Amino acid sequence: MKLNRREFIKLNAAAATAAAAGLSLPGISTALTQYRDTIRWDKAPCRFCGTGCGVLVGTRNGRVVATQGDLKNPVNRGLNCVKGYFLAKILYAQDRLTRPLLRMRDGKHHKEGHFTEITWDQAFDIMAEKWKAALKAKGPSAVGMFGSGQWTIWEGYAASKLYKAGFRSNNLDPNARHCMASAVGGFMRAFGSDEPMGCYDDLEAADAFVLWGANMAEMHPILWTRLADTRLNKPGAEVHVLSTFWNRCFDLADNGIVFTPHTDLVILNYIANHIIQKKAYNREFIDRHTVFTSAATDIGYGLRPEHPLERKAANPGNGSMTGISFEEYARLVEPYTLEHAAKLSGVPKEKLLRLAELYADPARKIASFWTMGFNQHTRGVWVNGLVYNVHLLMGKISEPGNSPFSLTGQPSACGTAREVGTFSHRLPSELVVTKKEHRDFAEAVWKLPEGTIPGKPGYHAVLQNRMLRDGRLNAYWVQCTNNLQAAANINQEALLGYRNPDNFIVVSEVYPTVTALAADLILPSAMWVEKEGAYGNAERRTQFWRQQVKAPGEARSDLWQTVEFSKRFKVEEVWPEELIAKKPEYRGKTLYDILFANGQVDRFPAREIVDDQGNRYDNDEMAHFGFYIQKGLFEEYRRFNVGGLKIGHELAPFDTYHQVRGLRWPVIKGQETLWRYREGYDPYVGKGEGVRFYGKPDGKARIIFAPYEPPAESPDEEYDLWLSTGRVLEHWHSGSMTRRVPELHRAVPEALVYMHPEDAKARGLRRGLVARIQSRRGEILAQVETRGRNRPPRGLIFVPWFDEGRLINKVTLDATDPLSKETDYKKCAVKVTKAKLV
Amino acid sequence: MKTIPATAFAILFLSLAVPPPALAEGGLKSLRGDRPIGEESLQPAFTKWQHDSKPIARQFIQQPPVIPHSIEGYTINKKFNKCLTCHSWANYKKAGATKVSLTHFTNRDGVELANIAARRYFCTQCHVPQLDVDPLVPNAFQPVELLNGQR
Amino acid sequence: MPESGQERKTKTGRSALAAILAVGFFAGIIFWGGFNTAMELTNTEAFCISCHEMRDNVYREYQNTIHYSNRSGVRATCPDCHVPREWVHKVARKIRATNELYHKLMGTINTPGKFEAKRLQMARNVWRTMKKTDSRECRNCHDYASMDYVKQERRAMIQHDQGLESGQTCIDCHKGIAHELPAMYEVDPSAAIGP
Repeated sequence: MKLNRREFIKLNAAAATAAAAGLSLPGISTALTQYRDTIRWDKAPCRFCGTGCGVLVGTRNGRVVATQGDLKNPVNRGLNCVKGYFLAKILYAQDRLTRPLLRMRDGKHHKEGHFTEITWDQAFDIMAEKWKAALKAKGPSAVGMFGSGQWTIWEGYAASKLYKAGFRSNNLDPNARHCMASAVGGFMRAFGSDEPMGCYDDLEAADAFVLWGANMAEMHPILWTRLADTRLNKPGAEVHVLSTFWNRCFDLADNGIVFTPHTDLVILNYIANHIIQKKAYNREFIDRHTVFTSAATDIGYGLRPEHPLERKAANPGNGSMTGISFEEYARLVEPYTLEHAAKLSGVPKEKLLRLAELYADPARKIASFWTMGFNQHTRGVWVNGLVYNVHLLMGKISEPGNSPFSLTGQPSACGTAREVGTFSHRLPSELVVTKKEHRDFAEAVWKLPEGTIPGKPGYHAVLQNRMLRDGRLNAYWVQCTNNLQAAANINQEALLGYRNPDNFIVVSEVYPTVTALAADLILPSAMWVEKEGAYGNAERRTQFWRQQVKAPGEARSDLWQTVEFSKRFKVEEVWPEELIAKKPEYRGKTLYDILFANGQVDRFPAREIVDDQGNRYDNDEMAHFGFYIQKGLFEEYRRFNVGGLKIGHELAPFDTYHQVRGLRWPVIKGQETLWRYREGYDPYVGKGEGVRFYGKPDGKARIIFAPYEPPAESPDEEYDLWLSTGRVLEHWHSGSMTRRVPELHRAVPEALVYMHPEDAKARGLRRGLVARIQSRRGEILAQVETRGRNRPPRGLIFVPWFDEGRLINKVTLDATDPLSKETDYKKCAVKVTKAKLV
Repeated sequence: MKTIPATAFAILFLSLAVPPPALAEGGLKSLRGDRPIGEESLQPAFTKWQHDSKPIARQFIQQPPVIPHSIEGYTINKKFNKCLTCHSWANYKKAGATKVSLTHFTNRDGVELANIAARRYFCTQCHVPQLDVDPLVPNAFQPVELLNGQR
Repeated sequence: MPESGQERKTKTGRSALAAILAVGFFAGIIFWGGFNTAMELTNTEAFCISCHEMRDNVYREYQNTIHYSNRSGVRATCPDCHVPREWVHKVARKIRATNELYHKLMGTINTPGKFEAKRLQMARNVWRTMKKTDSRECRNCHDYASMDYVKQERRAMIQHDQGLESGQTCIDCHKGIAHELPAMYEVDPSAAIGP
């Protein structure tokens, strides 16, 4: 069959559409498999945010030549945002790292040397030398790892095993600490189980949406398309948007609210008070399904202990809660009147009242969404709790449309960081290192002697940088994240820590980021569809993909790197004799033998990967290790979820996920769960129970009173403006991928400082001029925008953090929520002056 | 005429003899270029919008076209969509604009609609205008040969 | 004497007439001057935005547009676009403005909600006038004959050449360039969702 060019394009387009729709047009698929210009299309989740859109990856001659939205994926039904559409290009910028690079001078490692190509063997040699030296000198607390919510599930799981079991160090934390930790804290305190009770179907089921510090229009564009669809089509649907500055969500808002930073605490307590004053609460629900408590107050700001604010705090880091009665709770929220809330928040009363009445209306189904506005907050755990309070008082929870919903920023913040438990205090499936019973269970699954896993939480993300600076964490591995751009106050902490001559820093990366350049050793990584992977999105949906293409040069997946590195350690070099004595059969073995060739992870032999169309796929890790390592790791991990210590986290078998467009856990008897804790939707809630929050032993959710307490740093006479940081639609996080896509770079080439025109004018600035933005910690330059997509009120500026040329995190403050240890990137005090044009 | 090859040789010789100025990181650059992390920000590039042009060729057929003109001041909100005043099926002919793709009239459930689907209403979620600026790093993505004009 | 009486009368009449004329003349000057001064006073942006309805809504929106701030700093103020320059039209417009005073007193648009509810109606009034006058006020500054196509973007050139030659007027395309638009479903159902 000979086709001319036009016919070919038509045929190819029709086949692509058909493939996307899951149809096989008669004649077409056969024609295509015979035809030499076939593009192979296969599913994968998007590489970027936590929405977890499905894409189809088009591959031809070993290269990705196109991507498109996956019509069969229920998350996005064929749509992608502009970043998603350009996924194919993130693989191919010309500065991909393809060989290990070590800072060398005179033929050997030197902290100030130039990056020089070495072999993988040489790379692992020097790493092993440095790790062994650190372990010998100071023990397990001197080694650490910083991981990622962009790790695949098995990459996070393997790293967790290598550190917590192999090196016996809990100094493993993911960058999800910067984005999700407060949400986790909120879930665990209120419900005893992490992750949302609802799902994205709430976007169609709700009557009204309230956005609490979530600029979904830019940060979760596909969820925004679903929200917009409902708002513009469902009669009476409303959108309420709360933010500290005007943003694109306000284009769809029925009630747009710009409030003074940090006063979300006040507004939520006011809504609770309003519900109680109007007696609108659902008494039956409250009595049957909730318990009232009050949080310990004056808890500090997660700064270094010698900081005056920490010394001043009465209960630094205290997360305890005291049981109270409904009446006591009512009295605690009573001072949060409409007048008080309007005064502190700067929001007109009628807007606050309209919002409160919406929540208080038993007939309206409400979905509340939040992301970094709540989580990156020095009272992040509290404020997460306060929104649950409002939903719980009304009983508007765990059913279609009534949904307090914490969105995520990374593709597998849920799937890897939270579910696998790569936090410094966690083990898989919500187990924690501090509980003996949990450690025992993990050690049993992992076939380890009792006492292998240390019982003390390790260094969390922010503490890791402090410990690097202080020279107490000396052998440090960063995978799949750009923390020298992402961490707050980098001038005074991370940069000094990475460049501290006592430390050896390894960065696994795909491109030369600022983090890579601050390292001693750079390892070239495979990315996204260059490896087989799995992500878990914000609605508990676990999604798999196959390896589509090979990584360039000598780049290897983070999984390969972690597992291969484990071969460099004999157990005697890392475990004390008394521990080995409990399992003498491990004597003389390597950590690889103990952790990965353990009869479980290596249980599934290598096999050919073929899809139902007969297309064949590589699996470079399987080829290297000689067994289906991804499947082995996942099936071992699943033993924590199925028949583990905690119910309600069940995942389906490995092979299932390669067939479906993801499943939302718990997956019970092959069925996914859309709404947790509700009879009829969640199989763990028995007949007649209605609702049961089974994460708590008593089955009841906690309504937790927490007051307003001021932020760590507020504008004063000298530093007279608030600084908020965040993202833009076109770039994802630190921009290391999206800024290398020419179309995305041309759309938003650099970070601007968004400010009010009067604030600009008062400083001799105007749109287009260059501002110097200074805090007590650092400064940057940025061009002024007064008319753009973000319009701050007077007194606040917004600067996105994607721009490596600016690095706004030199300016930010590393104050954290003292409970979740998550940094508040939304509030610090700065001054802005006119910079000289050059 | 004779002097030119001599000069060229001299330049060539000099360029071989004198090594290029040492890069801080052995030739490795972040998107900050040669500027060390601890130093001052890069100066803003003061970019301008690209001049209006005809539709810009796509890199693959499923790619949403980029916008070949500035959209400064354009509003898309719940009351109104400026883009559609030229690109809607009712207006594109008169405006001489590209019409909205047929795919945009189908809702989430596959139902064909009379007007643009609400989920496609906020154009800038997929379509972005372009400033006149070079890529930070060349991108070696290769379109299929047909689109590349290589056949 | 009758004559002298008459004369006196006439004299008195004359001087009265003169006085009247004089008073009239001066009153006229004062009135005319005052009228014009008053009219000019009401023809400033400062006067327009002394009304919070203007200041908080349309003026604020306009500050984000090219007519407020642009490359060369040539700026249009409210009356440049909304008040005719020619005297007769100007007076007519000012007389019609009494209707606006009435609504100001009645508080017809004194809240953001009320303003929004009337926005389409108000916008339509402006569009209708501009259409009727062939966008007269636009053309005070934007003279078609003076447009240099070499300096225009390709899209603008094509549109201006085809549109203006075929009898379209500025406002046909340039709605909403200085203020936020109302819900446009009724105006162009293909450029908005839902009624």
